[in-house]
Amino acid sequence: MSTDLSTPVAPAPEPDPTPSGIAPERGTWALSWHGVRTVAVLDLRQRVRSTRWMAALVVWFVVVGAVTWLTWVATDAAFGSSRDYGSTSSQVGPTIAGPAGPTVFGLIVFFVLFLGLLVSPTLSATAINGDRNAGTLATLQVTLLTPAEIAVGKLGASWVAALAFLVVSVPFLILALTAGGTPVLSVVVCLLVLALLLAVVCAIGLGFSALTARTSGSAVLTYVTVAGLSVISPMVFGLTVPAITTAEPVRVWNVPADFDWYAGEPPTCELTTQSMTRTHTERTWWLLAVNPFVIVADAAPGARSGTSGSGFDVLGGIRELVRDARTGPPTEINYCEGRFGTGGADSPVAQREPDRSVVWPWGLAVNLLLGAAGLATAVRRLTIPQRTLPRGTRVA
Amino acid sequence: MPNTPDDDTSAADPSLPAAVPSGGLSREPAAGVGGTLGGGLDSGLGAGLTATLGQGSGLTAQGVHRSFGSVRALAGVDLEAHAGAVTALVGPNGSGKTTLLLIFAGLLVPDAGQVRVGGVDPVTHHQAARARTGWMPDVFGTWDSLTAREVLLTFAAAYRLTRERAEARTTELLETVHLTEFADLPASVLSRGQKQRLGLARALVHDPDVLLLDEPASGLDPRSRVDLRILLRLLASQGKTVLVSSHVLTELDEMADDAIFLSGGRTVPAGTVATAQAAPRTWRLRALSLAALVGWLTTVGATWLPDDERDPAARGTGPGDPPDGPGGVLLQVDGEAGAATLLRDAVAAGVPITSLAPVGGALEQAYLALEEERR
Repeated sequence: MSTDLSTPVAPAPEPDPTPSGIAPERGTWALSWHGVRTVAVLDLRQRVRSTRWMAALVVWFVVVGAVTWLTWVATDAAFGSSRDYGSTSSQVGPTIAGPAGPTVFGLIVFFVLFLGLLVSPTLSATAINGDRNAGTLATLQVTLLTPAEIAVGKLGASWVAALAFLVVSVPFLILALTAGGTPVLSVVVCLLVLALLLAVVCAIGLGFSALTARTSGSAVLTYVTVAGLSVISPMVFGLTVPAITTAEPVRVWNVPADFDWYAGEPPTCELTTQSMTRTHTERTWWLLAVNPFVIVADAAPGARSGTSGSGFDVLGGIRELVRDARTGPPTEINYCEGRFGTGGADSPVAQREPDRSVVWPWGLAVNLLLGAAGLATAVRRLTIPQRTLPRGTRVA
Repeated sequence: MPNTPDDDTSAADPSLPAAVPSGGLSREPAAGVGGTLGGGLDSGLGAGLTATLGQGSGLTAQGVHRSFGSVRALAGVDLEAHAGAVTALVGPNGSGKTTLLLIFAGLLVPDAGQVRVGGVDPVTHHQAARARTGWMPDVFGTWDSLTAREVLLTFAAAYRLTRERAEARTTELLETVHLTEFADLPASVLSRGQKQRLGLARALVHDPDVLLLDEPASGLDPRSRVDLRILLRLLASQGKTVLVSSHVLTELDEMADDAIFLSGGRTVPAGTVATAQAAPRTWRLRALSLAALVGWLTTVGATWLPDDERDPAARGTGPGDPPDGPGGVLLQVDGEAGAATLLRDAVAAGVPITSLAPVGGALEQAYLALEEERR
């Protein structure tokens, strides 16, 4: 409002001009690196010093290590070392190309994701209501930090904490890489997607911690949400299978039923319409796509085939499954294809390629939207001055 | 408003047409109510000038209401706390003191009414208001794992102080609140009183013009209370506005220039407070010889009461036959002038007076008088 003094005109239209000499107002959503870092450092210091942080990381390291070792031995026994049965299961080490690399890698990635989904809610789900209960939130709110800076800073702190667990798991992912079969890019992609998914869980926890007065309430809600994404969604997918299964007429290109196989002539195929049971998973595939495990599996680059081991590629298997589910059942089937010299050339049934396009961007986008909603909720609830107080909460 | 320039516009650009101040004031018809240092300066230009001149323009509230659901916390608060003075906010538990401070601190929006902090509305210009407000809540949580120094440095950063300024300010404030030796210990080892002092330092870290303290002395030892009093007096002498809420009246009595009484979410009108304070108060008069004292009081026809509280020996004795020895009586005295007259007369009459002092603090007396009135 410096113009007020220099121009002798009627006062500015707004009812209460900002006194001069004051920096312009920064909005609720204004963000600065300085502010975010201040909050994040405050939260991390408080967290790192108040919890048995190193102990937690060591326990994590030991658990992931143990699971890696068990997976290694088990897959080795199950699929590995077709050349030399019986001896390699006792020798564990990267020099032996026996164990099925993709299997080990996939299982370790899933285990790290599983543990991450368990730990992340505890890191963020008490960030706001815990501070409010401790009486430290309001003193932070009355400073010049914007609500967005407080929310993003808290999210950053819990994310960094979650990433620490991820970093501790990296050696085991690299170890699984040495078993062969997995492209190096897989480690990078899986870590990136895991990091994003953990950020989403942290943001959801932050949102609930802003919504509920009790820390236990927000923790439970966050766990329910995570379970909904990772466990309940595939369950619902399975349970809806009867609902999407119908008997439909399907055009089939096949050898006629009355064909005389002993006539010595190549059969001529014909088109018939049969009633067949079809499951239209193209209507429910998205239930699988939002699943964090599916997102990681679909995003990971495909395993190199035939390089080593004969094990089952966990990530690749899930990738096939969800992409097939999205494709849905075909409406025409060619049973003559490549049989008895009857090429597909004269077939009226179009060659049908399953949809191989990626699924994970959809799932990841849904997850990121959930996280953004959590963050937005937190910012909204941190905005002061407050007009209405959430039930059961106090300002300070 | 006449076209004569009033005192706060005289420092401004003389080319300003007279329409500016009058137009400014007309937007806010109640701005003139206080007519004091900050009260009338809220509108437009006045606020800007006082801000640039570094004169805090105090705290004002007009008709502030606030309810939480069906609970009416504030039901019409009008107050003015002047810059350069310590103002006491007095009231029983649940009278709305904390709610009022939360509104001043910019944490709550009033349902109705206007609030100004240093001339700025904390609802519409919350950042500007927060920049000049230091608030110390009644329940002060600490980051238990952080050291006192880290707490202050964090808040200095949150108030956007530069690194060097923050370091200097932190050292200075730790010195002020006598926590230097605990500076690098985690806050969890601090006692309640030490945490309270850390909370005070935290509220002061950005050198605010307006200081809002909610029960600052609770948990403080006598030494710290004296320090707090000296510190608040010093801040007030620097032109800052200090609003202190408490229900411990003796502690406020020693530091406050002014008192605002809250009762049932309303401010007690200033006139009532003045009347209550001016009303005859009870004084305690002590002499070496109780007999001589009582004898003199009887001859001048004064009414008095035995000092039960202090002198159980005097209890039950009639005015006719008091036992001799040192003792005191309670008297109703009309203000300090009355006390001076009483003392002069007594000394002139040869009564061996040792002390004459009011019973209880002025605030306590006023508070009790108002309570009495309310019933």
